[in-house]
Amino acid sequence: MFQYEKKLQFPVNIKTPNPVYAKIIISQFGGPDGELAASLRYLSQRYAMPYNELKGLLTDIGTEELNHLEMIGAIVFQLTRNLSEAEIKKSGFYDYFVDHTTGIYPVSSSGTPFTAAYIASKGDVISDLHEDLAAEQKARTTYDNILRLVDDPDVREPIKFLRQREIVHYQRFGEGLRLATDRLNSRNFYAFNPSFDVKCNK
Amino acid sequence: MNKRRQKLLTISRVQFAAWELHLYLNTHPNDSAATLRYKELEAEYQRLVAEFEQEFGPLTLPAQGNAWLNDPWPWENTKEGNN
Repeated sequence: MFQYEKKLQFPVNIKTPNPVYAKIIISQFGGPDGELAASLRYLSQRYAMPYNELKGLLTDIGTEELNHLEMIGAIVFQLTRNLSEAEIKKSGFYDYFVDHTTGIYPVSSSGTPFTAAYIASKGDVISDLHEDLAAEQKARTTYDNILRLVDDPDVREPIKFLRQREIVHYQRFGEGLRLATDRLNSRNFYAFNPSFDVKCNK
Repeated sequence: MNKRRQKLLTISRVQFAAWELHLYLNTHPNDSAATLRYKELEAEYQRLVAEFEQEFGPLTLPAQGNAWLNDPWPWENTKEGNN
C-alpha cells in the first residue's frame, strides 16, 4: 500500500522560469534513465526477489524513486510557469508546448514518449541487480549532463541531491548483489536462477 | 524563510537521515548502533510531524474536514517558498 505525504523529499523553489532547462530536465521524468523508469523497474522486479534484504531494498528504492519523480515534475512545472507565447517561441520549447501546453508529460528531452522498453524485469536475481546497478549509473550520468547545462542554483541544488541519491542506491544494490551471491555456490553463481530454481539456495 | 517552510525543512532533514539508515539496514540488518539511531530519528520524525500538523494542517492522512485540500501543494512554490 502506498500513502501520500504532502511534501517533497527535498525542496524545489525556482524563482526564474526557464523553458530550455525544462526541456532538458523532462528527460528525468519520462526519459530512458528517468525516475519513472527507475520506480517501475524496481517495483516490478521485487516480486522475483527470493531474499528478504532484496525485497526490502527494491521496495524502498522503488518508493524513493516516486519521490524523485515528484521532484522532477515540480522542477519542470516551476520552470514553465507564467511563460509568454513569445518566450515559448524564442526558447525552442514550442515543440513540447504544441502537444502538452505546460502540462507535465513523461517524455524524453528529444521527444520520445515513455515506454516500458526502458526497463527490464528478468526474473533472475543476478540479471536484475546488474540492470539496477547500471540504471543508477546511467541516471547519475544524466544528472551530470544536466549539471553541465544548467547554471541556476535553484535548479542545481535539487538536481545535485538527486544525483547523490543515484550513488547511494548504487552502493546499496552492490551490497544486495553481494548478499545474493553469498547464498549461492561460490564455484558457479550462474549455475541456477535463484528466483526460479528454489532448490539451489544454500 | 517563513516558519512553515522552516519546520518542513527540519522534518525533511530528520526524515532523510532516518530514511538513509533504513535503506542501509536493508543490507546491514545486524548493525545494532544503526538500528538504535534509526529508532531515535524515527521517533523524532513522528514528534515533528505531529507538531507541524497541529499548526499547519495535514501532511499525511487527511484530517477531519477538508484541510487536506488547502494550499500549498508541494510542487507549487511562492515568493517565500512553500515546500
